[in-house]
Amino acid sequence: MEYVSLFVKSIFVDNMIFAYFLGMCSYLAVSKNVKTANGLGLAVIFVLLCTLPLNYLLNKYVLQPGALSWLGGQFAEVDLSFLSFILFIAVIAAFVQLVEMVVERYLPSLYSSLGIFLPLIAVNCAILGGSLFMQQKDFANVGESAVYALGSGIGWYLAIVLLAAIREKMAYSNVPKPLKGIGITFITVGLMGIAFMIFMGISL
Amino acid sequence: MTLKETFLTPLFKGNPITVLVLGICSSLAVTVTLKGALVMALSVTVVTGLSNLVLSLLRKGIPNRVRIIVQLVVVALLVILVDQILKSIEVTFPIDKQLSVYIGLIITNCIVMGRIEAFALGNKPIPSLIDGLANGLGYGMILIVVAFFRELFGSGTLFGLQVMPAGYVTNNLVILPPFALILIGCIIWIHRSADKSLQEK
Amino acid sequence: MNTNGNIYTIVYTTLIVVVVAGILAAAATFLKPSQQANIKAETISQMLQAAQFETAGLSNASKLDKYAEEIECAFVIDASGAKVRDLSVSRDNIQLIDNLKAQNYAIAGKGGYETGLPVYILKNGVTIIPCYGAGLWGPVWGYLAIEPDGCTIKGAYFDHESETAGLGSRIKDDPAFRTQFCGKKIAWGQKPSFEIIKGGAPEGQENAIDAITGATMTSRGLDAAINTWLAAYEPYFTAVKTTEEE
Repeated sequence: MEYVSLFVKSIFVDNMIFAYFLGMCSYLAVSKNVKTANGLGLAVIFVLLCTLPLNYLLNKYVLQPGALSWLGGQFAEVDLSFLSFILFIAVIAAFVQLVEMVVERYLPSLYSSLGIFLPLIAVNCAILGGSLFMQQKDFANVGESAVYALGSGIGWYLAIVLLAAIREKMAYSNVPKPLKGIGITFITVGLMGIAFMIFMGISL
Repeated sequence: MTLKETFLTPLFKGNPITVLVLGICSSLAVTVTLKGALVMALSVTVVTGLSNLVLSLLRKGIPNRVRIIVQLVVVALLVILVDQILKSIEVTFPIDKQLSVYIGLIITNCIVMGRIEAFALGNKPIPSLIDGLANGLGYGMILIVVAFFRELFGSGTLFGLQVMPAGYVTNNLVILPPFALILIGCIIWIHRSADKSLQEK
Repeated sequence: MNTNGNIYTIVYTTLIVVVVAGILAAAATFLKPSQQANIKAETISQMLQAAQFETAGLSNASKLDKYAEEIECAFVIDASGAKVRDLSVSRDNIQLIDNLKAQNYAIAGKGGYETGLPVYILKNGVTIIPCYGAGLWGPVWGYLAIEPDGCTIKGAYFDHESETAGLGSRIKDDPAFRTQFCGKKIAWGQKPSFEIIKGGAPEGQENAIDAITGATMTSRGLDAAINTWLAAYEPYFTAVKTTEEE
């Protein structure tokens, strides 16, 4: 039951885009049509789902204060948390590069549809943000962190596909010239964010 | 380009937020108060400037295959240093706490990576440093404009000092992050009305 | 030189990682003392503000001076309310329990930590106790100052990690919210012993205050934090009361 509530919460209540506004750069840049938005969204889900549990283990057994106590009593005092940013981002970047190589080698068709988005993802705030929030929320086990990753990924996917659909329609509407393109997109996202606020504070 | 152009372009014509649409994430979360926006703007300026400088110095030696990782490591190093220094100074300590994860997220701030890829890897150290600093300032400028309106109407204060008359009912909508998006949308509107060459077809 | 060869790549990456790790370790070691001093001074200033002392604008050193001047004694109690050990209060060696997160785990029975709840008693007889819990986005915590009678609240101070600025953050920023606590009474023995009520506390209810409009989850989280910690401190305050009556 806790997993279900965490899952639903991370999609709607703690939505990466509308509650935290993370990953905005690629969100705004790649949401011109539904097809590419779809590709980027799926890639984000995949990378989040793989890197977040990895970073969870890293945090639990290496980084947080007292995490090294499994090595023996003399390490119980060691606090490596100042290294967390750099290790998290290194894991993410290394993972993205690895996936890119594997996909290119073995799944060329997937590579042609997803591959171009992979390098973009290494610098997507939503991925690093997910790991940093995981560190703040201190989950009880790997399962919870994986569920959180999946939920946040789906939330991000949902948000980008929604915006892409709106922007496809908006191309035909009569927007004032200076607002055309990115200006009106900002305002649209703002209004969508306000709409998503109805989920805020819902406890499951 | 002359050094002067390198410096002025990112402030207006090529502003990272309103024209290049980079680094939006943090501009929404940290603009509730002017103090937070100011510290964030300075931190980003320092990081973009120094990371451009360092990577421009390293540019000839970086193996292409691990390029992104090397860039991220250098940027992360600078961000951690900034975070640690902010934490250890008495005055900035409470502000660092308020900015919480958003300082860490400077690592993935697209402005930093974007300028390294687009400028520092192909230019000499000094122009790179100037380009980095100017982009940080261009970003900070928008941040401060947005924070000015949000703090004034959302809390009735500026830099924590009451400026609105007593009895002013604070506007909660302005404080919520979606309003920052709408505000940036309006800034883009004004910017592009003034400079028609930036309008999209 | 071939910058794309395997050996070059490996050597280069290793070198970068070693240099970066070295700089970071040096910076962390070098800056740690001043960071900890900042944290300590902040904790002290929050406790003093809970007890209605003005600390705004004081430097770190004068906050510590003020604390050393006002404090009578500080000690740690166990789950049954019995004193376990003293905490030093001398100016040069102020000991605090500031890892409230670990204590919160212990109270919630999550294990891994031993309950060691701090009690700070000032020279004017006021007792300061902490509380810690989850708000809407992240942890909320704070300090309650309790009069010598063991149930009247002298004052309170709260802090948070990432509550919505202007809404949930008012637990810290809005003095009107904090002053509501002054003079209220904790109803020991009742569940809940203190309430933060949405829509306004009923007139005349001595153990309740108004929640913050627009910040329901933060108010609810703070309510839970206060009650959980008060319940953990209840044995201590009951014991103090009985000894006084005898």
